[in-house]
Amino acid sequence: MAPLIDPALFDQLKAKIEEDTEIRKELEKIIDDLSQHVSFTQGLLSRIHSTPRSKYDTLIPQVEEGIKKEVESIATLNAFASNHPFFKPKPRYNSKWTRVVQEAISTVLLCAWLGGVGTESRPGEVGRLLTLEEVGEFFKVPINLKDRDAFHITIEDYLLALISNIDELSRLAMNSVTLGDTELAVRISSFIKDLHAGFQMLNLKNDILRKRVDSIKYAVKKVEDVVYDLSLRNLLPANKMEE
Amino acid sequence: MATAKRDRQGNFKKHEGPKPTPKPVARNAYTPMFEQLRDELDAHHDRRDRIGKASRDITALSKKIIFSLQRVRKIEETLPADIQKEINSRLDEIAKLLASIAPEVQTINRFRYARSLVCLEELVEALTFCHYLTTQTLISPAQLQPIIEALARQGAAVKEDEVMTTDVDQSAETSVPTVGLTDDDYIYGIFDLTGEMMRFATTTSALTGKMASSDVGGGDRDIVHDMHELGTLFEILPRRSGNKNTWEKKLDVTRQSVQKVEKLGYDLKVRGSERPKGWVPDLSSADQEDSHE
Repeated sequence: MAPLIDPALFDQLKAKIEEDTEIRKELEKIIDDLSQHVSFTQGLLSRIHSTPRSKYDTLIPQVEEGIKKEVESIATLNAFASNHPFFKPKPRYNSKWTRVVQEAISTVLLCAWLGGVGTESRPGEVGRLLTLEEVGEFFKVPINLKDRDAFHITIEDYLLALISNIDELSRLAMNSVTLGDTELAVRISSFIKDLHAGFQMLNLKNDILRKRVDSIKYAVKKVEDVVYDLSLRNLLPANKMEE
Repeated sequence: MATAKRDRQGNFKKHEGPKPTPKPVARNAYTPMFEQLRDELDAHHDRRDRIGKASRDITALSKKIIFSLQRVRKIEETLPADIQKEINSRLDEIAKLLASIAPEVQTINRFRYARSLVCLEELVEALTFCHYLTTQTLISPAQLQPIIEALARQGAAVKEDEVMTTDVDQSAETSVPTVGLTDDDYIYGIFDLTGEMMRFATTTSALTGKMASSDVGGGDRDIVHDMHELGTLFEILPRRSGNKNTWEKKLDVTRQSVQKVEKLGYDLKVRGSERPKGWVPDLSSADQEDSHE
């Protein structure tokens, strides 16, 4: 009589699991690489808190160099990951992967907001928010894929990266006041408030996005306090007084 | 009939009919972007909900199939007619549900909503169990996939009949979206199969006084042997598929099931002849093992 388990079946199952392990190992390397570039860039970006706006001209190009490396790593990740189902669970690696990608997006968003990553057709300017589409174009990867299975940046990635940015900018609002740049603080304040209003329009489920969106209010409070302190002491820049 | 609503004092409430439109949100430069993202996210959440609902129903139906199968008393080529009838009617319902969500779980969405689609594990368990009871072999993913695809197509065909579109028949055969089976669905389904086999072995040996085995194939192996072989399969497989904790937990339950069945085998061998016909061992502890899944 036929055996219970076809010997070929066992080989098949084993091969599949081994293949998954190989994929994970390969991904691990790529993610580690990306992770290094991301933390380097984040480190450079942390200098904004002590750099006056007049010195951005030297800081931003350095950040852009770091970001260039990120773009290269993401290209490798894109090429490799697109051969495998994007949402398929990759044990113990999925969360790290998405986090690193989100951090990379976040560095680009921040750099762009500070006036970096300009192109010839669209020069950089302070206060510029890259959209999800623009982030996709910047990294040369697809976004929000629905009809084919490949690496892409999801809406959640973008929104979570944006929230990290809000935190960072709320910190910058304080520090820019210390550096004597009250105009920047006021700009940040209105930017964060606008984004907060935007996030409130989303219908969120009880997930990580919801949790992070809930935290935006603290950033709003922080920048409002800064603006309040400034207005109390008549330190607001003249053209912003009426706001 | 809609009657005007009154407040506690019995006065008619002011707002009747459509609710007053909510205060328009102050718009800013980013409002359009967020509106677009919101619509996308809403579509995603809605889709996940729909899949989740169908999945719960499919799980419940699959469990019912398994219960029906547990009323089978021996391994033979054809299931008893009444049980087969029960199963068929459940499968018809499952087919409709599968067809309803099939378009939503194509390509990238298959894994995106994999967690909402856990029903497939349960369906695999039911189908593999059914296959085991009729052939005493383990069905392979390659054999199982066409069965699930056929179910989804069948469900889609039923739906089309209801809409009275008879002209699309053969042409739709290839274009009808079906539901793909993932490696995890299969492997975890097989894990659960061992639990069902243990229960089956226990009831049949108690009621018939014999270890279940197939009459068709000459009966050179019984279910004790099969359980051992399945147990070995999981022990030899490299330990990493999907979530590691789930794997360990399932492997543990499987080990226990294997040992329960080997104990049965021993009991029958040693004391089989002493045992009065129809004596049923206490299954309560075994049931507890399974019920928390």
